[in-house]
Amino acid sequence: MSGVANDSAMTALQDAFLTGLETAQQPAWLAQSRTSAMQGFIALGLPTRDDEAWRFTDLRPLFSAQGLPAPASAAGADPLQLATHRLAGEAHRIVLVNGRVAADLSSIGTLPKGAWLSSISETIDLRPDLIQAAFEAEHRFGEQPFASLNAALFADGFVLALEPGVVLEHPVEILHLSDAADSQAYHVRNAILAGANSAASVVETFVGSGPGWTNAVTTIDIGADAVIRHAKVQAEGAEAIHLAVTRARLADAADYDSFSLITGARLSRQDIQVMIAGEAATVQINAAYLLRNDQEATIAPAVDHQAKGGHTKELLKGVLTDRAHGVFLGSVMVREGADGTDARQLNRNLLASPTARVDTKPELTIHADEVKCSHGATVGDLDETALFYLESRGIDPASARAMLIDAFAAEVLEVAALAPDIDAHARRYLAAWLEHDGAAA
Amino acid sequence: MTAILEIDNLHARLVGGREIVKGVSLVVNPGEVHAIMGPNGAGKSTLSSVLVGKPGYEVTQGSVTYMGRDLLALAADERARAGVFLAFQYPVEIPGVNNMYFLRAALNAVRRGRGEPELDAAQCLKAVKAKLKLLDIGDDLLKRSVNVGFSGGEKKRNEIFQMAMLEPNLAILDETDSGLDIDALRAVSNGVNQLRDPNRAIVMITHYQRLLDYIEPDFVHVLSEGRIVASGDKTMAAELEQSGYAAFGKAA
Repeated sequence: MSGVANDSAMTALQDAFLTGLETAQQPAWLAQSRTSAMQGFIALGLPTRDDEAWRFTDLRPLFSAQGLPAPASAAGADPLQLATHRLAGEAHRIVLVNGRVAADLSSIGTLPKGAWLSSISETIDLRPDLIQAAFEAEHRFGEQPFASLNAALFADGFVLALEPGVVLEHPVEILHLSDAADSQAYHVRNAILAGANSAASVVETFVGSGPGWTNAVTTIDIGADAVIRHAKVQAEGAEAIHLAVTRARLADAADYDSFSLITGARLSRQDIQVMIAGEAATVQINAAYLLRNDQEATIAPAVDHQAKGGHTKELLKGVLTDRAHGVFLGSVMVREGADGTDARQLNRNLLASPTARVDTKPELTIHADEVKCSHGATVGDLDETALFYLESRGIDPASARAMLIDAFAAEVLEVAALAPDIDAHARRYLAAWLEHDGAAA
Repeated sequence: MTAILEIDNLHARLVGGREIVKGVSLVVNPGEVHAIMGPNGAGKSTLSSVLVGKPGYEVTQGSVTYMGRDLLALAADERARAGVFLAFQYPVEIPGVNNMYFLRAALNAVRRGRGEPELDAAQCLKAVKAKLKLLDIGDDLLKRSVNVGFSGGEKKRNEIFQMAMLEPNLAILDETDSGLDIDALRAVSNGVNQLRDPNRAIVMITHYQRLLDYIEPDFVHVLSEGRIVASGDKTMAAELEQSGYAAFGKAA
């Protein structure tokens, strides 16, 4: 990235920000929060390849002569996509179009007492108490440029808040549709705040077309003995850019289950930062990324064990074909005093073409006693003897290849053990990717 | 009568390697069972690999005609859909691919090749159960990934089971007896014998004579240094057992 691109990007963003501050109707605390976030972003600057955490990521597609894409001005609407992409089963549904909640497409339905599900704009108006504290606690995760930018510029998003003991029977479904024809930014800010002993399942699906830039931040706070199962399907259009940061903080015996299927966007990055603040908390991070053409995706789970007896289990698998580039940056930190931690991390990659690339960097830092930790990374090709075996039974080469890729990626779904309708939802996007692969082969 | 397989002066090798098959000629008619025997390095596996189109091999001379078609012009999957089947010496383990799913994909591919309608999951299961019964195989192997966690005997029985499902015109059994104890050998042989058919030809490739005690061939050929050096009826296998391959090699 050149200094010039940086400068013009910064100028454009500051202008947009100042205009937004003047025109927005918002409480003083929020204006203050946005202003300090913007100051933080300016101080950090845009990441470059000199930053270790961004060393493998090519951010050039994000920049144009005008700098970074400006925030989307108004919601478009393509209700047709809703029927195609929603969950088959019953759900509390919020639909965002180009980064803004579309009330007419959403159907939240009946929530149990003590559950709050709404847009972040409505939450700011009606229940600022729910999120003000969460915003203020955000600094505990450290600074990340795009998260700071999001905090300054976010237009909308969803908030799920559960009072202690509230259990949602049906999943919360968040459908992010995008279709802007020009390069626009969707700064989406979400929060999941789960009180003690509460439980919910949240499914996010990102789909659409056009060169838009999603910049999403999801703050998750999981109280003692609460369970949040969080599945995400990122199947954005081939020109899209998708940056997302999830920040989860776990209290005693809390359980966070994260699943991601990544097949979309030209450039994407998914940071999953988990802070194990309470004892005996459990984290599962499962992800599959399947990329073709010139797609690049980074998946960066970072689990910080600060308390005793935490369990982390991660399985992340990548399938890279054509000239695609996959990046895995996984870190597990076990702090002093986090004794009895059990952390397992595995990244496996399948290079299905000689021009595909993968960078994998699993990291483990241990400052505690009596911990069980392991990590590993593998990169391999499609098994030629298996391909021939399938072909020798009459299965054509493209189908044989798809069967092997499917088997490789589907292991993540088996390990994730999603609820049946969510599993079926994810498998649909996996199958769509494989069909495209078969058609191209 | 059209021959199922006509091999004419076939020369073949590993790509870029030295010639291993050096002029094999063989005619196999419908209903016949042929045994090709030979010591290690005689060219047995190169011959079977070339017949089924395994990558990495090349034919330098000669031709192979399968039911009137140029077999060598077809890709491996096309050969299978045309009715050629190889029972592997070392069946491949494929983690994550369910055996039943695999069988249905293979069966429907072959059925499409024959111009027959595809079977849905229920129809396929019914066909599978019938063949399992015929071969006296338990159905627990259907739930597992292809060949994963199978014993040596189970893998070989699974090969014959696939052969029963796909009903090939030409079945090539590559060292099907290797690594089998006597019970497994008997079970596999019974399976093959069930599949003898006036319209089907079977070519067994084996190092040892003992398989031929269970599956009686119509013809026995001795392959030595890339050539068939002797052909005869099943009594020749017993002679081989007596005198060893060396005598036949010299006779050539």
